[in-house]
Amino acid sequence: MTEPVLAIKNFSVVLIREGRAFRVLDEIGFSVAPGEIVALVGESGSGKSTIGLALQGLLPQDSRPRVTGSIRIAGTELVGAPGQVLRMARRRLIRAISQDPMGALNPTMTIRRQLRESTGADDQVIEEWLRRTGLRDPARIAGSLPHRLSGGQCQRVLIAMSMMARPKLLIADEPTTALDITTQAQFLYLLRNLARAQQTAVLFVTHDLNFAVSLADRMLVLYAGRIVEIGAVADVAGNPAHPYTAGLLAARFDFDSDRARPLPTLPERHGDADAGHGCAFAPRCTMARADCRAIRPPLRSAPVHPGAVACLHAEELPLHTKQRSVAEPWPVRAIAGAAVALQLSGVSKSFVSGRQLLWGRHRSAQVLRSIDLTIKLGECVALVGESGAGKTTILRMAAGLLLPDSGTVFRIDVVPPQLVYQDPVSALTPWLSIGEQVGERLRVFRIDPDMHRRLVGEALELVGLDRRVMHALPRELSVGQCQRAVIARAVVVPPKVLLCDEPLSALDVSLAATTLNLLGDIRRRLGMAMLFVTHDLAAARIVADRVAVLQSGELVEDGDPDTLIMAPKAAYTRSLIAAMPRLHGGNRRLAACRP
Amino acid sequence: MSALKAYVSAVEFLRRAGWLESAAIAGVLIVTLIAVFARWLTPFAPDLRVAEPYLAPSVMHWFGTDEIGRDLFSRIVLGIQYTWLPGLAIVVFSFAIGGFIGLIAGAMGGRIDLAIERTVDLFVVLPATLIALAMVVALGPGLANAMIAIIVFWWPVYARICRGEIRRLSALPHVEAARISGVRGPRLLLRYLLPGAMPALLVTATLDIANVIMTLSAMSFLGLGQPAPAPELGAMTARALESLTVYWWLPILPAAVIFLVCLLANLAGDGLRAALRGA
Repeated sequence: MTEPVLAIKNFSVVLIREGRAFRVLDEIGFSVAPGEIVALVGESGSGKSTIGLALQGLLPQDSRPRVTGSIRIAGTELVGAPGQVLRMARRRLIRAISQDPMGALNPTMTIRRQLRESTGADDQVIEEWLRRTGLRDPARIAGSLPHRLSGGQCQRVLIAMSMMARPKLLIADEPTTALDITTQAQFLYLLRNLARAQQTAVLFVTHDLNFAVSLADRMLVLYAGRIVEIGAVADVAGNPAHPYTAGLLAARFDFDSDRARPLPTLPERHGDADAGHGCAFAPRCTMARADCRAIRPPLRSAPVHPGAVACLHAEELPLHTKQRSVAEPWPVRAIAGAAVALQLSGVSKSFVSGRQLLWGRHRSAQVLRSIDLTIKLGECVALVGESGAGKTTILRMAAGLLLPDSGTVFRIDVVPPQLVYQDPVSALTPWLSIGEQVGERLRVFRIDPDMHRRLVGEALELVGLDRRVMHALPRELSVGQCQRAVIARAVVVPPKVLLCDEPLSALDVSLAATTLNLLGDIRRRLGMAMLFVTHDLAAARIVADRVAVLQSGELVEDGDPDTLIMAPKAAYTRSLIAAMPRLHGGNRRLAACRP
Repeated sequence: MSALKAYVSAVEFLRRAGWLESAAIAGVLIVTLIAVFARWLTPFAPDLRVAEPYLAPSVMHWFGTDEIGRDLFSRIVLGIQYTWLPGLAIVVFSFAIGGFIGLIAGAMGGRIDLAIERTVDLFVVLPATLIALAMVVALGPGLANAMIAIIVFWWPVYARICRGEIRRLSALPHVEAARISGVRGPRLLLRYLLPGAMPALLVTATLDIANVIMTLSAMSFLGLGQPAPAPELGAMTARALESLTVYWWLPILPAAVIFLVCLLANLAGDGLRAALRGA
């Protein structure tokens, strides 16, 4: 056994937020061998990013972090080390790639200068490295400023910058969130190859189990700052020992998920109550007993795989999962004869780009080229495409927020269709109560206050919220509750057409599944037509009756989701499908889409 | 229940604003109270000869007496009224006028917005203080004229900030969502847009009080503000400047009070900004 690159023992971090102390990491301990890729998986707030920040010494100083325990990197102790040691470690041993590649590069310096400053390498080495990351024409890239590069190119530059320093450890915190699906897969492939070639250990922080499985060797599942399960990815993903992992895995959807019925989900989390002495997951656990709330489960060897698990009753999990009832399938409704709810015919749109001066011609970029799209009442169409394909433009035209340059948009009702937004928190006005915002669409009817309140309450209950939530402000609600409130506002007066703009991209695994179920339920109950814009083909397949694929402003394919995925006609659809990570396809899929 | 809620939000405010800034906010309120009730707070009649001239600060006359023998402490207490209240009034008027015009510009957009913006630009490029001075000379010295001249050049800042905030907020998803829900007109402006613009405007206003007081004091210093017997702090400093080396308290103490009041206003502005940032 080689000496570990990273050894963390009894590591705890306490941060002060809003005047109260939060134990963000609670006695974490694990080690990483050279060249090993370890995925840190968990929901937002689980502390997975804090580990990366702590390793880089970047814990938010405003929250006065209190750090205890031990972190050893290649034999150097970092906790309590003097500044000089920390700086040396940060320069020589640890490098990091962030979520936002554009923000990580200095916009005023050429790529070459930034690489030289970071690593001290000469031009030839720099260009060689840029070539190794799969960038064509490295000389041009090296001479460019960051704004000339795409997000994928920036991320490649960053990985070159990190790897050139030959660090012992690379921290990659959700490095693919800003990238398109096809680029994501290529990037992960590159990351793994470079890590293997250089024997660099990688901590891969992600909320996406599919990515963790396709990239990493080992997986570490975090919940509320504690490790709940640790083991080889195949073991953990194939045979989870902790009810939380099992729940996450069940909630994760891909091309193999059953789309005829609601997805399995985890119970939602309410508040950030400190677990104290018990098991942190107990409040959400379906097999929790009295002892779970009293005894903190130690990390012990798992009964079903060679890894470790922190659950008192892990032995019972297989039995428990088997007993889990399968949800009733969605009712089947014929939509063939239904009325057309939304129709775009021959719609084109261009935007003016470039500098607008008093003289000179405006350059314009065509975003949409004669789009034809029809949605019938009760039908859900998913619009799939990468960023810049024009998905959002179509959505905004359907909402009446934009007018087409040519072509027509037909809507069945005169009221504008309702929108479900990407980020539920920013879609609610922070200083107005939920009830006031949900009830806004009732005001035109001038009904009496009691009736008004009753209708708002009913809308909230329809989306699974307590009617008392109407008195709360958005900041008193969790993200999941905000999402429900946004949907309640959309359906308080049932619209004929519901438009969804990437409603899953800001959500965790389990919350995404919950939202898909809720949307599926509501649209069937109210007989709405739904246009669901997403970059995620798997989500599209689950929610929609029909999938339309959009590539740079043109619809390239349109059809039944399963047929489209099984037998894609367009080359672009094929590349989208190949790039989707799958839970049980493992690493082979990643290898299949090498750049 | 509501008392508990009020207590919690007060603690929350203190924590966000910081103790020094919170103290400054309290200080600003106290200064305002002193300004309003100044007539009743003076130990001696501020306009009358109450002792020998040029007495140094003592237990009897805390800040000494001036060239006529008036009690300087009493005059400064009254001076706070003459300095602080006009400053506050100027900021409130500029806030109201500028905020309203900015709200209209931001909400209307198009030509109205363009016209208002260019007007604001016009005011911003002019050397404000200089022209305000010229205006007072033209209108004749006096408090009302000085205030009018300053307001004329002060509101555009608020108009610009308010317009910018409204434009920014209009593009946010939650305002768009309100629009799609059928909210429009005054309701959209007052419930959805204005509350979002308030923090920026309030913070600017508190930080501005100091500037306004300085400008007013400068005008009085130049003899364009309130006429001679009025105990305006800037004017008091100006008139006593030649006796700086002999009777130091006469120019230094009024100036120090101007300094303190401006510092309080600035700190209060900082505190308010910190407290409203999270809201």
